[in-house]
Amino acid sequence: MSTTSTEEEKTSHESGETLLEVNDLKTYYEDGGLLSSNPVKAVDGVSFSIERGETLGLVGESGCGKSTLGRTLMRLEEATAGEVKLDGTDITTLSGADLKQFRNDVQMVFQDPDSSLNERMTVGEIIREPLDVHDWKTPKERRQRVRELLETVGLQEEHYYRYPHQFSGGQRQRIGIARALALEPEFIILDEPVSALDVSVQAKILNLLEDLQNEFGLTYLFIAHDLAVVKHICDRVAVMYLGNIMEIGPADEMFESPANPYTHALLSSIPEPNPTAERDRITLRGTPPSPRDPPAGCPFSTRCPVKIRPEQYRTLDDDLWERIEVFREVLRERSRAEPSLSDRVRDLLGRETHQAGMDETLTELFGGLDVPADVMDHLREAADYAENDDEDAARTYLREEFGSICDRERPDQLGVGDRGRLSLCHRHDEEYEEPATVFETLVQ
Amino acid sequence: MVLLGVELGAILQVVGAIAGVVVNLLPGDPGAAAVSSLQESLKGIPTLVSRDFIPNQGYWDGSQWVGTFLGLSPAAAWAVRVTVVYAYAFAVLGWLWNGYNRYRRYYRRVDWTPRDDVVNRFRGHTWGQFGLIITITFVVMAVFAPALGPTTMEENILQPYDYEVSYWDDESQSVQTVLVGEANLGSGSQGAGDENVAPMTYDDFGRFHPFGTATNGKDLFTQVVFGARISLTIATVAMGIAGIIGLSLAMLTAYYKGLADLAIVLASDSIQALPVIMVLILMLVIFQNTWVRELYDGAVLIILIFSLVYWPFIWRSIRGPAFQVSEQDWIDAAKSFGQTPGQVMRKHMAPYVFSYMLIYASLSLGGIIISVAGLSYLGLGITAPTPEWGRLIADGQQYVASPSWHISLLPGVLITLVVTGLNAFGDGIRDAIDPQADTGDEAAATGGGA
Repeated sequence: MSTTSTEEEKTSHESGETLLEVNDLKTYYEDGGLLSSNPVKAVDGVSFSIERGETLGLVGESGCGKSTLGRTLMRLEEATAGEVKLDGTDITTLSGADLKQFRNDVQMVFQDPDSSLNERMTVGEIIREPLDVHDWKTPKERRQRVRELLETVGLQEEHYYRYPHQFSGGQRQRIGIARALALEPEFIILDEPVSALDVSVQAKILNLLEDLQNEFGLTYLFIAHDLAVVKHICDRVAVMYLGNIMEIGPADEMFESPANPYTHALLSSIPEPNPTAERDRITLRGTPPSPRDPPAGCPFSTRCPVKIRPEQYRTLDDDLWERIEVFREVLRERSRAEPSLSDRVRDLLGRETHQAGMDETLTELFGGLDVPADVMDHLREAADYAENDDEDAARTYLREEFGSICDRERPDQLGVGDRGRLSLCHRHDEEYEEPATVFETLVQ
Repeated sequence: MVLLGVELGAILQVVGAIAGVVVNLLPGDPGAAAVSSLQESLKGIPTLVSRDFIPNQGYWDGSQWVGTFLGLSPAAAWAVRVTVVYAYAFAVLGWLWNGYNRYRRYYRRVDWTPRDDVVNRFRGHTWGQFGLIITITFVVMAVFAPALGPTTMEENILQPYDYEVSYWDDESQSVQTVLVGEANLGSGSQGAGDENVAPMTYDDFGRFHPFGTATNGKDLFTQVVFGARISLTIATVAMGIAGIIGLSLAMLTAYYKGLADLAIVLASDSIQALPVIMVLILMLVIFQNTWVRELYDGAVLIILIFSLVYWPFIWRSIRGPAFQVSEQDWIDAAKSFGQTPGQVMRKHMAPYVFSYMLIYASLSLGGIIISVAGLSYLGLGITAPTPEWGRLIADGQQYVASPSWHISLLPGVLITLVVTGLNAFGDGIRDAIDPQADTGDEAAATGGGA
């Protein structure tokens, strides 16, 4: 299977023509209620391009905005800013007949085959519907086309008059694929097309998708969270985190030697089939920050194991540095938590809220460690701010003191290697050590 | 075709009657003459279950019955006609059911549809089938009202002084004629022993009364069957309008969400906050002397008020399922290949919600029937002389404890039976559509509609 994918990679890359170009795309969800307008930044400034005939994988943990990105490209969500160019036309502003024409060219295969097919319609009707909507030829020819499509995706003609209920998950996904193929699109967005299927069926569907790509010269955007699947099918991979593309580049190279710290962490989470193999798993601390309130600098700065330290703390003990980061995370969580009504009442009455008790937190975090006096002073100072319910001041204080370029400045996508790989990390700058080198030292 | 053939005349007459109603609704009565001539010509076609084919209004000439079907007694002739009517109705339904089964087995290209499961589940639902039979009986009663009554509306209730009735006078031992109106005066049920015509008896003028007579001597059964007609019309038309409004709004709110939803939540909450009976009474009083009140003896006004008051209920009931459906991926799929919003709502959302609406509609029909009866009982609602069950109950109220108990009791029992039947039918549909659903509370709530 892997041989077919590499062959096809060669053929498809010969064209080298850009089909889809995304520039600084943002999709925000404004549902913060009437008072606060603090939108969820699901996709927060994403740029990439897809060449004709290639498969771009889009990976990331759940909630990182990969599905929203797919839906925005599909015009199921409205883009807040930026542009998406398909064959040179910006599709974010299309309407009317142009939009309908665009719908002809781009199709989508959905994740859940149970929910993506209308159970009250026969398979024939489902696959025919796009043709009906676009007034494709005559009704008779449409029926004929549906029969052909059924054969193409590995079903039988007789299935025309069956209902989705009568099919298994894999077969239903084939129906979904047939529907996406009906209008002969150039570009198909596959939104986790196999993640709801049994592993044995997954392989069959993936092979079908590869065969179809070869047959019809399709371009895929393959959204997934299963890295093994992505490795198998994709030419290039984009890794998303908190609405940003952290790293994008050729799949084989990226899986071989990840550049971005986040990619490192993500790839280290792939289970190794060999139980005796030496593995260095990088376990990330905490959870991703809220997309309503992303970090000011690098999106990954709150959890990055190889974050750049300020000059004066380079020599600080790793454990202690880790604890300081945890302390900052605690403060971030505290400022995110809405005070409850009883908290507010207690606050008004001048009683201690249960949010207080920063001293305990400090003791718990730094109790067993040998903390230099100046560091402890800074921590106390921040704790005092927090004690007075001014978490923001505490966070600012700590950011000023312990923060580095990672906390302050959003990194650019810097080139890595010679095959057009891009990675969003300050460490690719010449004055810092490469993430990979730092990981080596960490692991020891 | 045989089944249709014997009723061809009746069907055409119904078409004529509907044309008449439509023409009546239009101001200025254009084409009223044309319609009435059409109605006349259609009456000429003989039909199996008509009064002319099986007449029961005859008289005893001293030795035999004259003018009745095969010389049977009026009671027997009437019984034959009722039996034929119901036999015919059930034969038609059986024929349709058989046709559906044949179609399903031999002709349909699809060998299974999700709807088959619903039908199969309903087949095993005895309580629902009981409801269905009651409902059919009630609908047949309303549809065949003119053929079921022992006498006609026109002759016995609307224009009793324009018609004569022949009867065998015992004293003079001869056949006499009397105006129907005068005969009615002599055969009222007023509670006392000699002033009472009990169910299944003849009055002094040789007329058979299956349900006895009302206080004014008019035939109760005739009034009951025509009352069924008006109750059913009001309930179904009002529910139909409310359902259409509720369904369209549910589709719009579920598809567009946000502001559209908020606006309709506010509107429906405001309407639901109104006490229904109060609004009905006020509206009927306000429109007392206007032309709207005159249409179909007040039924049109009642229908409008009911549909206005009931749509929020329907919308509320199906809003949840509609939102659920709108979250399904197939909606996104349809949008992604450019399906229009209207088509998405119609093809991908409405079918899932429609069945829920059917449940709630059938459960609320009973509530409307009770409310209409309640209004008429209060002397509002449907104006006399058009018969209405509620008014019959009110008329007979003071004789409940007398020999004339039948005036109040029989229509009352019928209302109870019909409402129970409709609720049972609704339960059956609900269990058939969604075996897991638990909407029992809603059913109880609608029972208290009046």
